[in-house]
Amino acid sequence: MTAEELKGLTVAKSVDARGTACPGPLLEAKKAIGLIMPGEVMEVLSADEGTKVDIPKWCTKQGHEYLGTLEGSGYYRIFLKKS
Amino acid sequence: MCLGLFTGSVDKLTAAGIIISGAAALDMRVDIYVLLQGARAFKKEIGDDASKLQMAENPALKEEFMESLKNLKVKTWVEFFREAKEITDVKIHICGLAGKIWGGEKIDDFIDLADDICGIGAYLSSAEEADVNLFI
Repeated sequence: MTAEELKGLTVAKSVDARGTACPGPLLEAKKAIGLIMPGEVMEVLSADEGTKVDIPKWCTKQGHEYLGTLEGSGYYRIFLKKS
Repeated sequence: MCLGLFTGSVDKLTAAGIIISGAAALDMRVDIYVLLQGARAFKKEIGDDASKLQMAENPALKEEFMESLKNLKVKTWVEFFREAKEITDVKIHICGLAGKIWGGEKIDDFIDLADDICGIGAYLSSAEEADVNLFI
């Protein structure tokens, strides 16, 4: 997805994991995915560099759709759609 | 995943905690066999009391290591293990002989995370069935 498309997404759940180090963001994503319905979008906010790679790989393994990543000021917004 | 946890050092236990957290995120079933040095760390009076744990590598850097963990808000090894247990199927078995070496005879001598006491046969059977085998 393009940056504009990502910015325009309706996010069902925003997980702010910026205060935590690895594996915090991944675990927060894992806990939060159970709180949204299939087809809904979740964003994970993380200041941890590794999360940019972790979440897409986790999506592949768990069968969710990784949509893309936006870079904020000192953090990343990682978007995925629950399958 | 089958994890043979030999270490009783704070750095390797922290690493093990992070690894099983990753396994929990991937819904892996984790079977942990606590061996030798590890059994000491699982004793009720030790746990994540860092003053009672050593570093496996670079012992002179322990203070710097612990300070960094605090600044980065990294959980303790016990907290990682506890969280992984809450998220996925994690079983923690204390090797009976290892426990006895450090004065632990029954399951109540160890922190509440430990599920049971076992022998070497249980570890090897689990290792044979697991798709991922680690030894820390």
